[in-house]
Amino acid sequence: MSRKENIINIKVNEKWCEFSLDRDITSNMTLSFLLREKLGLTGLKVSCDEGACGACTVLMDGKAVLSCLTLAVQAHGHEIITIEGLAENDPVVKAFSEQCEPGYGTALQCGFCTPGFVMSTKALLNENPKPSLSEVKEALSGHICRCGCYAGIAKAVLHAGEKLEAGGKKS
Amino acid sequence: MKDFMHFNAYSVDEAVALLSRYGGNAGIIAGGTDLLGKMKDRILPSYPEALINIKTIPGLDQIENKEGMISIGALVTLSRVAEHPVIRKEFTALAEAASRTASPHLRNMGTLAGNICQDIRCWYYRAPQNRFSCLRKGGGRCYAIKGDNRYHSIFGGSVKAGCFAVHPSDTAPALIALNARIITSRRSISAETFFNVGVTHTTALSNDEIVTAIQIPTSAQETRSAFLKFALRKSIDFPIVNCAASITQKNSMVMHARICLNAVSVVPRRAEKAEEALINRTIDETTADEAAVAAVADAKPMEGNAYMVPITRTLVRRAILACREIHGG
Repeated sequence: MSRKENIINIKVNEKWCEFSLDRDITSNMTLSFLLREKLGLTGLKVSCDEGACGACTVLMDGKAVLSCLTLAVQAHGHEIITIEGLAENDPVVKAFSEQCEPGYGTALQCGFCTPGFVMSTKALLNENPKPSLSEVKEALSGHICRCGCYAGIAKAVLHAGEKLEAGGKKS
Repeated sequence: MKDFMHFNAYSVDEAVALLSRYGGNAGIIAGGTDLLGKMKDRILPSYPEALINIKTIPGLDQIENKEGMISIGALVTLSRVAEHPVIRKEFTALAEAASRTASPHLRNMGTLAGNICQDIRCWYYRAPQNRFSCLRKGGGRCYAIKGDNRYHSIFGGSVKAGCFAVHPSDTAPALIALNARIITSRRSISAETFFNVGVTHTTALSNDEIVTAIQIPTSAQETRSAFLKFALRKSIDFPIVNCAASITQKNSMVMHARICLNAVSVVPRRAEKAEEALINRTIDETTADEAAVAAVADAKPMEGNAYMVPITRTLVRRAILACREIHGG
């Protein structure tokens, strides 16, 4: 019965990383801790640390998951994408940073929750490139923005979808 | 989190063997969304020595549409349950319950089996660092009786322990209304008897027993089911009250009805009086009202939660009315 793997391999932002259990990581380490403190990927934030705020969202095999409630050892063999893994001109990143619209406002003020929102938006648009406003609200309902930029965030997601569509047409 | 041993199990037998080896001091982890929160806050006096990961067991992540039933493996996530076309069409209450659980992230991570095995959310029980050594932790009393009990049982305490914490699952009432069976590593239990409250447990599972699948019998073509939830927030929130109903009608007469409430009692609670009130009658506003009144006839609210009674009544009424139209009709 081989049950205790000693080598943990995780693909982080397109690159496989190898960790040794007990030396690099421990059983009780969360994925959020590993990414932030061991790999320096501090884009994701740990806010509530219990799955209620969405700030630590990363993509695991393309799905939005909470890295604070994922054990690092259980990410073995999986593909993780953090906000650092997105291109600088990623349409979602651009839409969030450019968002400024009378009546809706910006998509961020302090920016603490933004990496989480962006990653959930990536997961949404990968599956559904032209979401309706209610689909956007549903997909992002696991996030909290204490600055209250929800209207701007929803607009940014819709704009990101439009950018993706326009980009697709050009190529 | 304090450290623990971590094992990947590759078969159900292996997971069971590991559980027996640790004799009650090990936990099963699949989605982990309930368990890790509990461990981080150190809410319990004891801390698991080992976690046994069952995500590595092959085959448990299947939804099988078999003859006369659907079988949902223990590793099937809530999002897959919510999106599955057959579950949405034939087991509507379950798909609706799964889609109303927690948030999209937690539904991507958490499993249906984990949702029915989750622990209670009573704020005295969940207080960090085991601040209140309550009945459910082997302590002397229920702090909710004299404390803030606005989210506690309106149907009395658990018989053995006098604990008033409610069961927080959204999918549990749907499974009971749909007459599901819980398949474990050693037996098959009806969903209704699966929930069993005692010190440190919320289910009938033994220390060395795990849920492997959930099976729901296909109901008659004239059966329609619905799930409704009342919570303070639309997302990432536990129910204040929820209600699932599964009703079979023939020639506009109710032949068979199963209605189950949750978050109002220590375990999910069949509203049997409401079911009886519907039999051989036509569903309309009046019969739904009468059944809803019957559902809360036995309610004994505490000091802070009488507001839950009218909410419960309204949900029962609406769930019945939602079953009025006949499938495909």
